Amino acid sequence: MNFVHFIQLILVMAILIAVGVPLFRGLSKIKLFAKLDKSGEEYKHLLVRKEEVLLSIKDLQFDLKTNKVSEQDYQKQRKKLELETIAILEKLENLEELEKAKKKGKKSSNPAKVV
Amino acid sequence: MNDIGEFTLLIALAVALYGCAAYVMAVRGNRIDLYLSADKTPVIVWVCVVISSAALWRGFITNDFSLQYVWAYSNKELDTFYKLASFWGGQKGSLLFWTLILTTYMNVVYFQNRKKNIRLMPYAMAVMLVIIIFFLLLLNFSTNPFERIPLPPEDGRGLNPLLQNYWMVIHPPTLYLGYVGFTVPFAFAMAALISKNLDDGWIRLTKKWTLLAWFFLCMGNLFGASWAYVELGWGGYWAWDPVENAAFMPLLVATAFLHSIQIQEKKDMMKVWNMSLVLLTFVMTIFGTFITRSGLIQSVHTFDEATLGYYFLAFLAAIVIVCVYLILTRLPLLKSKNELDSLLSREASFLINNLMLLGIGFATFWGTIFPIISEAVRGVKITVGPPFYNQVNVPIGLVLLALIGIGPVIAWRRATWVNLKKNFQIPVIIGLVTAAVLFPIVPLGGRSEIFTYVTFILCAFVMASILREFLNGTRARMSLEEGGNFFGELGILTWRNKRRYGGYIVHIGMVLIFAGIAGSQSYSIHDQKHLKIGESLKLRDYTLTYEKLTVVEATSVKTRVIAQIGVYKNNKRVWTGRPEKEFYKGQNQPVTEVDVRSTIVEDIYIILADFSEDESATIKVYLNPMVSWLWTGGWVIAFGTMICMWPDRLEQRRRLDRMKKQEAIFAPAQE
Repeated sequence: MNFVHFIQLILVMAILIAVGVPLFRGLSKIKLFAKLDKSGEEYKHLLVRKEEVLLSIKDLQFDLKTNKVSEQDYQKQRKKLELETIAILEKLENLEELEKAKKKGKKSSNPAKVV
Repeated sequence: MNDIGEFTLLIALAVALYGCAAYVMAVRGNRIDLYLSADKTPVIVWVCVVISSAALWRGFITNDFSLQYVWAYSNKELDTFYKLASFWGGQKGSLLFWTLILTTYMNVVYFQNRKKNIRLMPYAMAVMLVIIIFFLLLLNFSTNPFERIPLPPEDGRGLNPLLQNYWMVIHPPTLYLGYVGFTVPFAFAMAALISKNLDDGWIRLTKKWTLLAWFFLCMGNLFGASWAYVELGWGGYWAWDPVENAAFMPLLVATAFLHSIQIQEKKDMMKVWNMSLVLLTFVMTIFGTFITRSGLIQSVHTFDEATLGYYFLAFLAAIVIVCVYLILTRLPLLKSKNELDSLLSREASFLINNLMLLGIGFATFWGTIFPIISEAVRGVKITVGPPFYNQVNVPIGLVLLALIGIGPVIAWRRATWVNLKKNFQIPVIIGLVTAAVLFPIVPLGGRSEIFTYVTFILCAFVMASILREFLNGTRARMSLEEGGNFFGELGILTWRNKRRYGGYIVHIGMVLIFAGIAGSQSYSIHDQKHLKIGESLKLRDYTLTYEKLTVVEATSVKTRVIAQIGVYKNNKRVWTGRPEKEFYKGQNQPVTEVDVRSTIVEDIYIILADFSEDESATIKVYLNPMVSWLWTGGWVIAFGTMICMWPDRLEQRRRLDRMKKQEAIFAPAQE
């Protein structure tokens, strides 16, 4: 075995160890993903939307100051965006309530499992 | 070292294959052990590719001509600077360089996101690994850079003299950084499609990557134009060459994408459109590599040994089929939740901008593939020249230019005519004043001159519109912050709204580029004369006197023949030009090195076209107006893009707040 072959062997061994170790650490029972919580995903999406709508209100104010929208359009658009924000906030609140209720239910049915 | 380089290339392929399979199995089986094992592969693949690349670079530096690739693209006399750049001078090395950049990007993405975006990451990494596998398969089995020559020759063939220019070190890597960079948004878009995680999370993850890739591709195109201008010696910088087009098309589609994602972020609409654009951008980058490496289309840029056409075509077809399938099957999930409020809104102007960009993209695509189609259909290869591209793209480009000025003035969601009239007053007046001032000055004989005239008017209009935005914004801030000074408030305005005002700066750069192209394309003049020493040539206000011819043995393989030209304006010497011809040992054709004096008004561009033994020489001179505007526009774009890309603390804080809030209500996604 020459030096090059030796280096190649070392390299292959190192790769096999790096890639193989996680497979033999007894982790096979642990799940990669928790079950996709649709409410959680919806909640995340709504938080983003809320931010976007609030930023849109800020942009609209700036557009009014720089004369891009008329006062009348500003009021109309603002009203629309505010209603959109309220709708999003209501949905967020509902999801929060639902989640709290779910957690309470779990706690009372299986208190030992809660960490 | 060559053995190790070749071996690590093979190992990289094996590990990438394993990594891809392990990521897929980890997701399908929901197994963390497989995921953790797969997660080691991006770094391993990168290390292997780095070792291979280092081995090839070593071959160049140590003049190891046992490697066929080193022999073909280097020789003992080549400067170390160019030896390093020879790495990407041919097809084999350039593919390895592509893979090196791709694996590097993959690792940056990996370290950025491995803890943050667990649901998308395995898919995105698997997609990137699939692309890496394709390149590694080519490198290992079709175009191996470590191919040996059984009896190594004493010296190499050397690098093509045309490539022995400092731009060779800058232009290809910049272009590749752009091309390869689009793999990241593509991978995340595919990940979102496969995992059905189709909110705008993938856009937030990748918009800066898209901007980075766009920036490099834009700069790569400009650097290429600059290189062509000084090296090819035909007085121009862009020839609608198929390979230039190949780098231009993804830039157009990516520009459309960068604009339309703002609509998705703001209004949660246009999901299908954005998804299609990001996929199309990547498809265009692969199409570009297909053009360069297929040998189907003739270009100064194609590789000598371009033989990989069918592989790239098959890969391209596979990508298109998978993308179309995924989009069609996910259509219900990609439905828009909102509608366009008004046709008189910034969203609508962005839509028209998208259509114009894609229109130019399609015309360019059609012109590029026309020789292939005509040969397939009629058996005759018909090449489409610059007149076709100019005829189609210039009018669309002018509409696009006008939109750059119209967009910022229109409000999001809904604008009114009254406000529009008020806001357009000053830009329109400035446009009209420009029209009146230029009317008696510029020639208006032909179609091209009329287009140029319109371009200048639109440039003035757009510039006024953008500067007005800065002015109004600063004034609005000053009305809030009493006592703030103008420039301070201007700085704060830009810094707090990096994306908006950085974008406007990019638009200023575009205006400069439009003006530079219009001026240099329409008003360029040239003359050519065979002169004896002491004789002169007159071109407009300039008198060029041929003073002497010098022969210099620069190195043992390079001889320079330099003509000295005195340039006079109104009997005053303003510059001494030294165009030259370089003769390389073993090369039949000499290389022309032009000399350029560049000012804001015009470039004096001198070529030594020919010379005789009696020291007489044929001198060709171009007066190219406004070329420097083009390069200045490029630097302005770079500055604007930097501002757009600069990390936004407010955005980061908002993201963290969102995460905290979600975690407070819901259990963390990861168990």
